[in-house]
Amino acid sequence: MEYSELLRDFLDDAETHLGLFDSALLSIEQNGFRKEVIMDMMGPLHTLKGNSGMMGFDSMKDYVHNIEEVLKGVAEEKVQIDRVMDALFDSVTAMREVLRSVAADPAGRPDLTAHILAIQECLRGEAGEGRRKDVDLFAYLGAKTDTIKVDFKRFDDLLNLVGELVINKTRLNQIGTRMRGTGGNKPLARELQEGLESMGKTIAELQEGIMRARMLPVLNVFGKYPRMVRDLSRTQGKEVELVFKGEETELDKTVIDELEEPLLHLIRNAVDHGMEDPKERVKRGKKRRGTITLSAGQESNYVIVGVSDDGRGIDMGRVKAAAVERGLLLPDETPDKETLKSLIFSAGLSTKDEATDLSGRGVGLDVVIRKIGKLGGQIAVDSTAGGGTVFTIKLPLSLAIIPALMVEAGEEVYAIPMSAVDESIKVKGEDIHMINNHEVVEFRDKVVPVVRLGDFFHIGCRRRETFYLIVLSRAEKKLAVAVDRLRGRQEIVIKPLDETFGKSYGVAGASILGDGRIVLIADVTAFWRETIDRTNGGPAGVGCPPVDRAFDCGEEGV
Amino acid sequence: MSEIQLPASGLAEDILPLYREKRREHHLVTFTLGEEYGVPIHQVQEIIRVSGVTKVPNSPSYMDGVINLRGRVLPVLNLRKRLRLAGKEPSKASRIIVTEVGDTVIGLLVDGVSHVVKMPPESVESPPEEVLEVDTDYITGVGKLKDRLVILLDLERLLKRDALEVGSLTGEGGSHGKED
Repeated sequence: MEYSELLRDFLDDAETHLGLFDSALLSIEQNGFRKEVIMDMMGPLHTLKGNSGMMGFDSMKDYVHNIEEVLKGVAEEKVQIDRVMDALFDSVTAMREVLRSVAADPAGRPDLTAHILAIQECLRGEAGEGRRKDVDLFAYLGAKTDTIKVDFKRFDDLLNLVGELVINKTRLNQIGTRMRGTGGNKPLARELQEGLESMGKTIAELQEGIMRARMLPVLNVFGKYPRMVRDLSRTQGKEVELVFKGEETELDKTVIDELEEPLLHLIRNAVDHGMEDPKERVKRGKKRRGTITLSAGQESNYVIVGVSDDGRGIDMGRVKAAAVERGLLLPDETPDKETLKSLIFSAGLSTKDEATDLSGRGVGLDVVIRKIGKLGGQIAVDSTAGGGTVFTIKLPLSLAIIPALMVEAGEEVYAIPMSAVDESIKVKGEDIHMINNHEVVEFRDKVVPVVRLGDFFHIGCRRRETFYLIVLSRAEKKLAVAVDRLRGRQEIVIKPLDETFGKSYGVAGASILGDGRIVLIADVTAFWRETIDRTNGGPAGVGCPPVDRAFDCGEEGV
Repeated sequence: MSEIQLPASGLAEDILPLYREKRREHHLVTFTLGEEYGVPIHQVQEIIRVSGVTKVPNSPSYMDGVINLRGRVLPVLNLRKRLRLAGKEPSKASRIIVTEVGDTVIGLLVDGVSHVVKMPPESVESPPEEVLEVDTDYITGVGKLKDRLVILLDLERLLKRDALEVGSLTGEGGSHGKED
């Protein structure tokens, strides 16, 4: 194994061990001290010590050893836990710092002498003649585990292979259909059919199994925030408790990874903007200690992740003022609640007067919406003045195999991820109206911008008398994508496009259909950009003439 | 540089001649685009017929699209268009040469594949100065083979330049990338 690989493993591992140590400390702080928790900490630390030594980070090894000594002292009741909590929390920060510096400079050997001296302080003057308790500090050494560590790439490869199986199965199915159609050997065709059906079941189970193996409880990402919330609220003199709900809900690892950044922004916002300080809370008749709740739950093929706080809520008046200042709204405009909500997600909008080093630079929420969009998800916000804010994120279970709506424009077929689609409707040419040279449609009493798929992708196709609109929604806003025909819903396996020669604006990936044909998957965030580009300079929904023609649209149950 | 298989003896005097020969001999797959061209055989994975090319919007004009190569989505570059030669409709003889250059696997659409040839170094000349323009450094030489001329292409150079051009078109930092 290469040194760089070893180092990567070491860093991965170390991060996990530190995470466990950190959450054990947090649990002591929140639920009080129990001796078993010391055991929970000793295991990871001991492994970390061993690994550090093996990798030649001797100073780190000594440091961890000293931390172990302190914990041993606590277990033997020679050291009082309350006196050393801060030092232990600091030690996590210090070790994380070391890991970061090692990642940046693998040749470096960080020196932790100062930290070692600091932690040794914890033992000084405490020793006394404490009675030694019979605590088996090394009980964790005998523990066995039923889990193995597998490089995630292997799962990716397996899933790809299953994807090919699915494609091949569809192909065989089509051959079977042709065989029956041409009146060939009917009994044989039937046998083939039966064989294919049973193979299909096995493939579905295999696919399901691999998808399961790729899933992790959402706690893997939730667990990263308690420490952040603790540190943030302390520096701001606030009291905040972070509560989890449904943290055992499982999600594909790729989704988990991508979720970290948007959640980070939302939680920072909640602490920084949402939470009042304790005095203010008491004055308003609330509990001193504010609560931020991270929740997760599954709904059919989606996972709903929520970030809610019981803080002051979003001041819509200030959102409006900030939007006017940035030219997103005219001063005399009276936007409805939905428009205001969607403005929260605009780039550069901040209601906080001064930027802190945490948030308030007005970049957070537009990053959030873009990330969620990339994941093929949706986000919505609800807020009551004085009562708190709720962000709700809807995500596909997996990024590898997703349900998609297959649509046609001219001769081309495109796939649109179902997670972005609200519904689809059949319309006539005269239902589309022009405002400022841009096409719009009236939908449920709202004026909704229209993007024509054929024009967007420069597909030469003639305008049809009747066609379909796919209604997408994002943060309370709607957008309609015009296509010629709908082909129906299908589970598709996402194949990445070549980084350099296959990637293209508006295309999120490709998928292979049963007949071997490649379809491109539309990147819906590009459609949104298209409408944002249009409205730049002209605020949304200004001076729309009343549209009085009713739809003759039969809803297409998607 | 091509790889050298070490002789069993492992002796320097046995390795050296092998090395000299390997280094000098050009082992090429040749194909036609009006003229005959050649690329090193070690960069060629396979040669396939043309079928089912899916166009990719907003990509450079010389990218024909993507094809399904046994479950893999492979980009196809139209070499005629890339070398700015007169256009020609694909025919029955047209082929896609699947090449692997560095980390990139890419198909090159050509009029037809002719031969696999070995060319001694003395029959390869550097390209005549008058054909060399600033952006044609991917032509590394002209080989003479009996009565034929073969233009030698360096795919690495050809594709590296494209990577720059394509990169500015994909929206990442391009005209559409204003939100990024």
